[in-house]
Amino acid sequence: MSGLDLTVRIGAMTMKNPVMVASGVFGYGDEFKGLADYGELGALVVKTITREPRAGNPPACRTAETPAGMVNAIGLENVGLDVFLREKLPAALEYGTNIVASIAGDRPEDFAECAGALDGSQVAGIEINISCPNVKKGGMSFGVDAEASAEVVSAVRGATGKPIVAKLTPNVTDIASIAVACEAAGADAISCTNTFSAMVIDVEKRCPLLAAGTGGLSGPAIRPAAVLRVYQVAQAVKCPVIGMGGIWNASDALEFILAGASAVAVGTALYADPAAGNRVLEGIRAYLEGHHIGAVGDLVGSVRL
Amino acid sequence: MRGTEAPARRGSGGGAGAGAERVRAEILESERLPGEHHRLLLKAPRIAENARCGQFVHVWCHSPDELDRPPSAALLRRPYSISRVHPPDGVEILLRVRGTGGRILAGRSEGEELDVIGPLGNGFHVRESLRRAVVVAGGIGLAPVPFLLQSLTARPVRVVLLVGAACDEMIPYQVKRSGAEGATLPELAALGVDIAFASEAVEGRLATDLLAERLGELGSQGDEIMAIGPRAMLKRVAEMAGGRLPVQVSLEERMACGVGACRSCVVPSTDGAYKTVCRDGPVFYASEIDWERLDP
Repeated sequence: MSGLDLTVRIGAMTMKNPVMVASGVFGYGDEFKGLADYGELGALVVKTITREPRAGNPPACRTAETPAGMVNAIGLENVGLDVFLREKLPAALEYGTNIVASIAGDRPEDFAECAGALDGSQVAGIEINISCPNVKKGGMSFGVDAEASAEVVSAVRGATGKPIVAKLTPNVTDIASIAVACEAAGADAISCTNTFSAMVIDVEKRCPLLAAGTGGLSGPAIRPAAVLRVYQVAQAVKCPVIGMGGIWNASDALEFILAGASAVAVGTALYADPAAGNRVLEGIRAYLEGHHIGAVGDLVGSVRL
Repeated sequence: MRGTEAPARRGSGGGAGAGAERVRAEILESERLPGEHHRLLLKAPRIAENARCGQFVHVWCHSPDELDRPPSAALLRRPYSISRVHPPDGVEILLRVRGTGGRILAGRSEGEELDVIGPLGNGFHVRESLRRAVVVAGGIGLAPVPFLLQSLTARPVRVVLLVGAACDEMIPYQVKRSGAEGATLPELAALGVDIAFASEAVEGRLATDLLAERLGELGSQGDEIMAIGPRAMLKRVAEMAGGRLPVQVSLEERMACGVGACRSCVVPSTDGAYKTVCRDGPVFYASEIDWERLDP
């Protein structure tokens, strides 16, 4: 084994490598069990939970495939905080790697309450979802406003000593200013980015394909746009940035790292290849060895302009 | 009301489902069928061994060797009901060639491999006490029928098969109309399956019309209806049974993950929550589904 240093630190959370699984795609973790060695990855961010269970958006339909991507409007359907802590988290912890919870709410206090309850749990960190485009209240309505974003981060910071990550939406004019506000409010890292607001229309029915009307675009289609957002955020903050948005292979992941991401998350690609994260990790390793780079940290933000 | 008896299911906890695996399956046979149908026979011993009727496989349409390159079309896997198993290693699926994924898969050649996850989901529950099964099938819903018949005829169960299709072309392989008299398929007839056909195009009749004719004689302890087809048909079958006898239905819905994680394919259930077609289903007892809230 080579002496490659793949470790990444996000606040007090140490990851053995920079590859994560993005929230939402992976459910609570146990659904994918057996399809890949997820314990090999740096961290697994599980599906966003809210204090109370939520039914999410109306069914039929919630997901639409688009060119090199997909649009989803699940609407934060989740089991709620209690069931997550009692049933889902213990199952996810069996993977033996960092489990990062993702939380959402209608008000900053809801986030704080979730964070407080998770503080005593075995989650390695907490991601703050202020960027879901598919709910009427909360979600992206916080993330499009620097002050509101900071208010949520600050409330969470007050409720937990766990590493906290603010997950941002790209659907803003100046993502860097929002990242700066989140960092100042106490975020240990910035996740960049959530999905791009999108719409698919059924031309026969002449109505939106998704029951919710609109959704969020993910997959390779958004990758170049997400890389730019990561670059903009990384230029503006000192804390680590977790890059995501259409990562399919190691080369994609390396783009994010070169743009300034300390870690990367794989999302939509898991639907095609449940081992996409492992494949990306393997490719990053090969790249570092091939280029005689000893530590992945040396690559972070090293894009030459 | 026996229609609401709790289904004895494999359950939905723990992993991608008992026995589900990701395999590279060689295409043993690829055959264009009448209409827009296509049949693929895959070599997948573990899936053939573990599959239960009503379960599905989740198929990556492109070459497994190209997983590292994102495709611009058919990015997601495609779910296909297992049409039939050929022990010890054959798994057969039936596709519609119309969509992007179906077109790509139909173009793949014999000898090539497919990346397949399966068997997934909860299939039909063939209970010990089952004595007579009325299988109501319509349209493309016929895909899982051969496997269901395989399972039923292996047991001491009287099988009645009621087939409805919009036109003859929609009646794919294995269950075909033979001649103007209709209604026989030698293989199934030999197994004692009692078959009736309805054609909306020719006679203006549906599978549910066939069921209506038989409904009076149903309702004994060992009777059960198993329905596969369009939602309107499934809903009508559930209404007709009215809780007098158990009804199992196989639902279809757009999927992304296929393992219950993404919550794309949910349907409203009578317990007030949503259930996933991919993991809790695709086969449900009709009593589990909130038909009023189910999108048509």
